[in-house]
Amino acid sequence: MRPREETLSVGGIDVHAWVGGRGDPLLVLHGAGGNRGWTRWVEQVSERFTVWAPTHPGFGRSGDAEWMEGIDDLARFYLWFIDAAGLGRPHLLGHSIGGWTAAEMAATSPRAIDRVVLVAPVGLKPETGEILDVFYYPPPELLGMTVHDPRTIPEWDALFGKTPTPEELEIATRNREMTARLTWKPYMHNPRLDRFLPRVTNPALIVWGREDRIVPVVCGEQYRKLLPNATLTVFERCGHLPPIEQPDAFARLVLDFLSAPAAPARGHATR
Amino acid sequence: MKLYYFSEMPHHEFPDAEGEKYSSLRLDFPNRFFDPSIAHANYRRYLDEYEFADQAGFEGLMLNEHHSTPSCVNVGVNMTAAILARTTKRAKLLLLGNILPIEENPVRLAEQIAMADLISGGRILSGFVRGIGIETWWANINPVHNRERFEECHDLIMKCWTEPGPFRWEGRHYHFRHVNPWCLPLQKPYPPVWIPGTASPETAIWAGRHGYTFVPFLVPFEIARELFDFYRQGAAQAGRTVTADNLGFLICAVTADTKAKALEAGRHFVWRMGATLRGPVEYFAPVGMRSRAGTQFALKARPKSLAQMSYDDLLAGHFIIAGTPDEVADRFAHVQRELGVGHLLLEAQESRMDHPTTMRSIELMGAKVIPALATL
Repeated sequence: MRPREETLSVGGIDVHAWVGGRGDPLLVLHGAGGNRGWTRWVEQVSERFTVWAPTHPGFGRSGDAEWMEGIDDLARFYLWFIDAAGLGRPHLLGHSIGGWTAAEMAATSPRAIDRVVLVAPVGLKPETGEILDVFYYPPPELLGMTVHDPRTIPEWDALFGKTPTPEELEIATRNREMTARLTWKPYMHNPRLDRFLPRVTNPALIVWGREDRIVPVVCGEQYRKLLPNATLTVFERCGHLPPIEQPDAFARLVLDFLSAPAAPARGHATR
Repeated sequence: MKLYYFSEMPHHEFPDAEGEKYSSLRLDFPNRFFDPSIAHANYRRYLDEYEFADQAGFEGLMLNEHHSTPSCVNVGVNMTAAILARTTKRAKLLLLGNILPIEENPVRLAEQIAMADLISGGRILSGFVRGIGIETWWANINPVHNRERFEECHDLIMKCWTEPGPFRWEGRHYHFRHVNPWCLPLQKPYPPVWIPGTASPETAIWAGRHGYTFVPFLVPFEIARELFDFYRQGAAQAGRTVTADNLGFLICAVTADTKAKALEAGRHFVWRMGATLRGPVEYFAPVGMRSRAGTQFALKARPKSLAQMSYDDLLAGHFIIAGTPDEVADRFAHVQRELGVGHLLLEAQESRMDHPTTMRSIELMGAKVIPALATL
């Protein structure tokens, strides 16, 4: 099902969004790499859910938000976005910094959302290891560290194989600048988020790649322990981009979780 | 034209092959190669050289500050200024400068500069800089705030120096509920402000608007002229007239008794152009630190990076001037004719240039070069 593009004005910011599918609303928050649009996993999930995939303020084709200082601002902004878009009480899925944003939204206003999917979210300080300093590396080198094995990624050529146009390069720079604005210090985490996560009793699914070199997989365990009603699924032979690296398995997992009649039990799973 | 003496206070007493194992000498090169006993001797030596430059007749002694790098172990420009304020007699002390965006307490900075000005008897020239990316990493200040913090830090320092306290400051980046510094500059209304530039048109325009002395560092003449044009635009916006006294230029320079000796000594500057500037662009200009205009201008200003230039290229481009006193005086006059500047800042010691060579160069500059340029 082809999506439509919308621009919503929220708090004076024009927010670009891809919208499509059928069923209950699912709000999808992208990571630092920006909004990759209607990729394979979104296509599959949109068969049963109406996917709203906005581009964060300051990213891509959305308006500027130079006043924002951190992910907590972005989280409050998206709680406003849910109201402005009339989404009711949507499911929420976020990847990386979008996952951190989703966790902050859930901790701030758990009743504003239904089920929560956190995909390799930053936001917590790892108990062991460090979150990779993504600003320290040239983008091509960083991309190599972001995924486990490009040869196994079905959309690799479509997403990363072309020489970027000047407009795409400008958007990539803009995305990095806004990421720096939101996450520079404390780097990629909120030292107080762990105090509020136990409030989130919503059914939650945490997804990680075993070979994630950006955010240590131990953070997945930390999220699972802090969220009272969460399961953690770790994909083998997968890096920091499970939705792109293993789109079919990822879509199936998300569909199963969102469609399950009752909240799933706590525990681990390995795929 | 007035001449200024400058040393980056390098710590180049390690095997170069060790440095080459790392992606950059800045940030990455481990400090286990820092030798405190050598640094102890070096600091005393560098301060002796500054004091000799004061006696030799330099108009000013330029001081700078960097962090996490062997290229410059002057880690506190105001600390050095305070020492020289007491141990020198006549030269201006040009701080170029305090790195405003990484400063957490502009009030303390205003106090420290004022204290150095008081001790020196009003000899401080207070340079303010945005810093390079390395210092942003070192201080862990968000690079996207660099220019905003530069301007707000500057505004608060100026308010400290020009308005009676106590007052409150609630800005975007700085918040002080009680500002009332009991240490104010001797020079009124405040010490002259100097601003360096390498690439940002915005900085040149801003400096021109404020009437601050503007000094491009180690850029080709045509780029310096363009930056001066931006400076003049800013000055015109504020209704200011620009004279040679508003403009300076920085190069590397050494003199000796013979041309051969000077050229041998001048080779030490190649290290600062190449090895010490090697590293990923992310280190020197992290994302968001430069505007689009600044990034564009930087690409134009450095079609060939300093690191890619040979010693002969650097001599031909006047990035380095090395020769007998007559020869360097002639080349300095050439710079003056090309750029119309009133101040020439000489990075006059670098890398492993030894103490006797440095002292002889200072002595010859004082005896022969400074007098020859005094009327320009």
